[in-house]
Amino acid sequence: MIEIHNLTKSFDQKIKAVDEVSVAIKENTVFGLIGTNGAGKSTVLRMVAGVLKPDAGIVAVDNMPVYDNVEAKKRLFFIADEPYFFANANARAMERYYSGVYEQFDQAEFYRYLENFNLDRNRKISTFSKGMKKQLALLLGICAHTKYILCDETFDGLDPVMRQGIKSIFAKEMEERGLTPVIASHNLRELEDICDHVGLLHKGGVLLSKDLEDMKCNIQKIQCVFSTVEDELKALNGMEVLKKEQRGSLRTITVRSTREEATARFAAVNTVFYEVLPLSLEEIFISETEVVGYDIKKLILG
Amino acid sequence: MTSRNSFWARSVENHKRRIWVWIVAFLIQLVAYVGLVTIYISRIRYYEAEGVYRTAQAYAEALAQAVQDALGFSPKLFLAVGLLAAVIGKQGFSYLNDRRKVDMYHSVPVSKKRRFLVIYTNGVVIYLTSTLVSLIIGILVAAAQGVVTGQVIAVVGIAFLWNLLFFMVVYHMMILAEMLTGNSFVCLCVFALLAFYEQVLYSCLRSFRYSFFTRASNNYVLFVPKLSVTSDYYDHVDIIKYMDTPQEMARTVFPYLGKWFLIALVLFVCAYVCYNKRMSEAAGKAIAFSGIKPVLKVLVVVLAAMIVGGIVRDSTYENDMLMLAAMLACAFIVSAVMEIVYEFDLRCMLRHWGSSIIAVACTALVFCVFKFDLAGYDSYIPEADEVESVLFQPNTDYENYWDENFDYISNEDHLMENMHITAIEEVIALADKDQKEDYETMIDPRWVQVVYHLKSGRDVERAFYVDFENPGNEELLNRIVGSDEYKNSMYQITWDEASYDSVQSVTYTNGCVTSTLPLEDAQELREAYLKDLEQMDFSLVHNKLACGQLQFGFSNYKGASYPVYDSYTNVLAYLKEQGAYYPVTLEAEDIAAVTVTNYHNELLYEEEDSEGAYDYYREAVATQDAYYEDYYEDVTVQESFEDKEDIARIVEHIYPVTLPTDWNRRETFDSNYFVAVELEKDSDYPYDRTEYYFNYNMIAGEVPAFVAEATALK
Repeated sequence: MIEIHNLTKSFDQKIKAVDEVSVAIKENTVFGLIGTNGAGKSTVLRMVAGVLKPDAGIVAVDNMPVYDNVEAKKRLFFIADEPYFFANANARAMERYYSGVYEQFDQAEFYRYLENFNLDRNRKISTFSKGMKKQLALLLGICAHTKYILCDETFDGLDPVMRQGIKSIFAKEMEERGLTPVIASHNLRELEDICDHVGLLHKGGVLLSKDLEDMKCNIQKIQCVFSTVEDELKALNGMEVLKKEQRGSLRTITVRSTREEATARFAAVNTVFYEVLPLSLEEIFISETEVVGYDIKKLILG
Repeated sequence: MTSRNSFWARSVENHKRRIWVWIVAFLIQLVAYVGLVTIYISRIRYYEAEGVYRTAQAYAEALAQAVQDALGFSPKLFLAVGLLAAVIGKQGFSYLNDRRKVDMYHSVPVSKKRRFLVIYTNGVVIYLTSTLVSLIIGILVAAAQGVVTGQVIAVVGIAFLWNLLFFMVVYHMMILAEMLTGNSFVCLCVFALLAFYEQVLYSCLRSFRYSFFTRASNNYVLFVPKLSVTSDYYDHVDIIKYMDTPQEMARTVFPYLGKWFLIALVLFVCAYVCYNKRMSEAAGKAIAFSGIKPVLKVLVVVLAAMIVGGIVRDSTYENDMLMLAAMLACAFIVSAVMEIVYEFDLRCMLRHWGSSIIAVACTALVFCVFKFDLAGYDSYIPEADEVESVLFQPNTDYENYWDENFDYISNEDHLMENMHITAIEEVIALADKDQKEDYETMIDPRWVQVVYHLKSGRDVERAFYVDFENPGNEELLNRIVGSDEYKNSMYQITWDEASYDSVQSVTYTNGCVTSTLPLEDAQELREAYLKDLEQMDFSLVHNKLACGQLQFGFSNYKGASYPVYDSYTNVLAYLKEQGAYYPVTLEAEDIAAVTVTNYHNELLYEEEDSEGAYDYYREAVATQDAYYEDYYEDVTVQESFEDKEDIARIVEHIYPVTLPTDWNRRETFDSNYFVAVELEKDSDYPYDRTEYYFNYNMIAGEVPAFVAEATALK
């Protein structure tokens, strides 16, 4: 597990990039780190990778401090937002470097993946497109066979097919050897179908950090038409209503509740029609963050 | 089995990233060693073909010297080694300036310590490999010519160590510069500061001293950079290069190697500590450690202001106010530029005004220290009880010194080592008088350089004027100049008995006749002179004119001459016994003619505000339409005297120009007059028949009236 406790980092003694962030990244889950540009995602990831030294707080990888700790770093592979490749290097040269650094690097798997992704092992990386470079960086990271892979905006710029391919590999590696990807992105929709747990960063601090399943299980969106106003009051009495919209007699209500409790409530009153609808990640975030006073649409969705 | 992440594996991997550095290193070293040795040998072979060398040995020696010059100590290697060290150091750690590279290198499981040592060691390996391979090829090329001797190998070996230590210092400097900065341009600037700051600072301080202080002197106690390796290398490589033996080279080189090793070690430790302390986020910034910004700013501002101040003072005829204004303006501008460079942002020029004010204040303080002598440099006179002994060197006395091989010894080195005069209070009294007396009121001020050898072990050098015509100084000077300590260190004849065993010529001259003396008598003559020298003091040499001069010639074109006075009875007795003595005053019957030239300098040397002289000059120019030279020629009057009576009256008042008169009073001779003596061709007087004239000065105040009249302006 990666434990981040009260992590703080300032630049030039003035700009507080990360302010007392505490997050726990459990093993064998996909952790999404979401935030606007400047929210501190990259800084957090660079501290987790051991590149930056925190001003205060702790980053522990499997109970080991990470900064200048080779044993901890052996369990991590960091893909920066702009991954660096050696000048004039090709994929083979990068493989040789990383297989020297990461002792578990699987060369055969790497070359197999290269073929699958149609990346030429002998072609100069400098001639690759931005997306191809990101694919290559991801493949190098996956084949390094580290326990954790830290991806900073890595999925941005990948086409849907490639994204799906990488996600499949992640899923396979998670299943086979318990890989834990940590993915930072400023785009909520990028992470919707991949993350198990999401941390939302804003202005250097954590707004929330929750399991997606927990969030999904505890927030319900119900579309319904009540017979009378009394029925509506009766159904919603004692429930935490996060959002309520009305179009004619059709109500769309978001409540904090389990699916069973919500169904039971609505079944007990006279309704013309009711239905519990699936929530998108975006809707869950909107609901959660609005509660704490943030307009998530402005923060994440632009 | 070697781990894939072992030091060796990391090292090999690092070399892959440095292939172009390997190529540059080999190119530079092959050109520097193999190229030069080939060119030098070819040049000697060409000379041989042209018949320059008369013997096979001379040819062999020239070849050996050529190989030593190419593979040993060479100023060209200063550039080659320095450049290589800078390139290797810069390239090795330049990844620290690039955030993308830092993200990659610092996230992989390689410890900081190992990464540093791998890059560092590989840099040394690149230098050593390229140098040794080039040297070996160079030696093989030389060996093919049959030039390689034990001496050549020894010289090449010592030079290799010299260059290796120089490389290490420059290499460590560049690594430290890289650690302190996060940008290549700023890194090169900081490297230049580390490499040359002290040198430039000393140059400025020296220039300021001579500009502001009348008693500044740095001939004996050298005011040179203490830590500047670049200065050490460049100032000494040519001296070492021309040393005769490897032993002599080693004796000179090894103290520097020790010093350079310590400097390299300190730089290495600083670089390593900085590497560990340096934050990854420093990549791309100008300065990696914000704490050094104000220090760096003050150092750069003060030095830049001193350079500008010096230039302005020199070009404005020592206008101190303009100099101060220029220094302050420079300080402000450089402070602003430093802030711009720190942030790479023009808008930041006025940021951190606190450190800017400190920098400007330091600049003003430096000016005030020199302008108002706040450090008491010019007024320094030590207490007598602080001083162990004194070196006293008036500009009237100078000798060349040589060693047992007849190679020159530096005058300064010799006197620093050997002149320890204990007439301390007398020297201090003269220094004190200089402080209290106005130079303008001195009648015959003479420049004297003094080194106070303090009991603390420190040597302090100053220079001041001593009025030779001040009666109160005569006794003081007698006790200094007349002391055995002065004579036994100033005159080589007092200690160098050995040279007189192999003397090659001994002569005595009265300014007209030069008598050759037997070589085998050289020691006898020396001893006679030493006995007479005991009576030598300031009063003698200042008030009396020498009656002649002894001249000794030695091997390797070395020579010494010593004045003989009428009171030097031992020398004169020997000379008379040898029939070599001729009085300085000539006999009229030996002289065919005396030509007196009167330059009428009184017209030129009159004060500018002397209306008469000015008018005369103006009139002369106006009427003759002449320039200064015409005017000068015009007022010169020359008259020849052939009458024996006239000649007899003249020769009593003339003195040969070839005899030493530096110690004598300035007004000993009348500078208006110049006398040329033509001797009788059929005279028995044994003068040198190849000379048509012998030149003499007219003794001041003794110009016969008829001569003055005959040479007056017509």
